[in-house]
Parts: sequence; C-alpha cells; structure tokens
Amino acid sequence: MELKTLALDLGTFRVLQNGFTVQEYAAGWYIDPQTGQRVFYDPNTQKFYTLAGGVYIPLGYMNPAPKQVTLAPGDKLRITMSFKYSGPAISSAVCYYSIGVYGIWGFDEKMTGQNAKSIPQYTTPTTVTDSYTFTLPTNVGNDWDDIYCKIYGGSPSVPQNLFGYEQALLIVGKDPTISEFTISDFAKV
Amino acid sequence: MALDIVLAPLALEPKTFNVGDKVRVTVSLRYVVGVNTTVKIYAGPYYTNIFGKHMVTPCVGQADVSLTAASVPTSQTASVDFILVPKANGGIENGTYGLRVWIEGTNAVAEQDSVLIVTGNPSGGGDVFTAMMPMLMMLMMMGMVMPMVSEGMAEGE
Repeated sequence: MELKTLALDLGTFRVLQNGFTVQEYAAGWYIDPQTGQRVFYDPNTQKFYTLAGGVYIPLGYMNPAPKQVTLAPGDKLRITMSFKYSGPAISSAVCYYSIGVYGIWGFDEKMTGQNAKSIPQYTTPTTVTDSYTFTLPTNVGNDWDDIYCKIYGGSPSVPQNLFGYEQALLIVGKDPTISEFTISDFAKV
Repeated sequence: MALDIVLAPLALEPKTFNVGDKVRVTVSLRYVVGVNTTVKIYAGPYYTNIFGKHMVTPCVGQADVSLTAASVPTSQTASVDFILVPKANGGIENGTYGLRVWIEGTNAVAEQDSVLIVTGNPSGGGDVFTAMMPMLMMLMMMGMVMPMVSEGMAEGE
C-alpha cells in the first residue's frame, strides 16, 4: 500500500521555565495574515486569543487543510509535525498524533499515536521535526478526515501546543462514493 | 465525506409497455471505494400526486452490482430488471409513470417523469362487477325484505 505524508507546523514554543525569555510577540492586537482576523496575544500564556461575545477565547487550533490526501484501507499515512524550538535540552516530550472526526463537540479521536521526543539544547529558534505513521484499518469511516497533533510534557516540561487540519483526508473507505449516476436506457426484454 | 452526485440531464424517450412485460434499465455511474463491495440497485415505476412521488412497490426490481476497489473515480455500467405486474395481481394500473433507479445506502438516485406508458390491463370485466357489487347487494336485501313486508301487510288486512 502507498505511503502518503501530511505535514503540520506547530509554530514556535519554549519550555515552561525561566531563563529563556525570548519575547516573540509583545502583548497586544494583531491581524492574522491568513484570515484577516483580529487576534490578541498574551505573552503570559503565550497564546493568541480572539474576542467573541465579549469574552476572549483561545484561537482555534483546527485550520483548513492546505491539501487533501486520498487514502484507502491499508494505506499508510505519515504525519509530520515541525516546530521551532529554543531552550534547554528536553527529554521525552510527547509528540501526539490523531486521526478522527472534528465537530462542534470537539475532536473525536479514531486513531492515535505518539512518540517520545528528546530535543537538544538550542540557543536560537531551530526547526525540529517528528513524524508518526498510521495504517488505515479496513473499517475506516468515510468521515475520518480530520487530523491534529500536539506536543507536551517532557523534562523540563513544554507547554501543550496543538495544531490540526480539517478535511485533510479523503477516505476511500468500505462504503462507495457514487457520482454521475444516470439512466442510459430502458427497454422490454 | 460528502457524497457528490451529479445528475446529467436525462433525455429518455417515453416507451409503451404492456402489463406483464419485463423492463431492463441500464445505468452508468462512477465510483470510488476502498474495498471490493457489492451494492444493491433498484428500479421501478413511480407516480406523482399531491402528496409527492410514490413507487409502485410491487413492480420494483433489484439487482446486485459488484464494485472492485478503486481509489480513483471508475466508470461502471449495470442493469436491473423489473416486471410490470398487472393491476389484477395487485400491481400497476394503465397510465403514464416515471422511472426511478437508485442504489441502496447511497444518495445515488436517477429518475425521469412520464417515460413509462403502461397499457394492457382489462378495462371491463372485473372492474364493472366490482362497481356494481353494492347495487347488487342492495337488490338482494330488498328481495329478502320485501316478501316479509308483504306478508305483514297481508296479515294486517
């Protein structure tokens, strides 16, 4: 079966400790260059927020997929995450991956996988990657088309960072998808 | 995943059939599916009234269609037969009907109005007898009651 890959970028983050206080953004309002949405950055939580109904809520971690990967049962999907890291060496941070169904109630994880990741010390933001390969089962649902990944934990601990794509997968599953269905002819036999 | 059905404009010419005829419908489609599978395809006549469209259920036929696993849209043809069961056997009346074909468990439906012209059901005979049954029953009842009434009147005199 074919191995297909999908990459996610978690952005930049640091460990949860003092001593490496490289300020990426000043507190304040920013314009998201991708969506044009006004967002607020809080350097204390190191998260972006958006204002909805008078309440600041964290910016959603799910995003429209930049591409769609077609997969069938038995196919292998490699998800690669990348991020920039600066800070002390980390041992056994958890790089977590999931395929599932994202809806109004959140992300329904259908398949999950994780790696223990050790990261060396970097004094400047340096790109780090990790990947995990899923094999799709025969009972894969046609709606298992969303993915997300996150990194958390380790020693010293890193804050949880999530990132995902909606409708990143086109599952050619056990149920057929029919198109161009037409009556060609009918006659007495 | 959305099931994306594209119905091409249908250009079927109306055809006339007698009750009892077997009709073969041929369809074309494109599909993708991850594993070899079999789907059921149905076809039959339908009529339309103020409540919508209704299948003539006794005349609906079905067939199994095998789909080989394909990850890219693949063309396939299939055929399904149905019999125009006469009205006397609980089937279809004379008239003009639409033709509908669909695949079970999917949104795949194709139909066209007024393409099946059905004839051949007897227009007299049983129907006339059925229509006259109430009148005959009434006459029989009068035949039984009148003699009793006549007897009563005779005794009164």
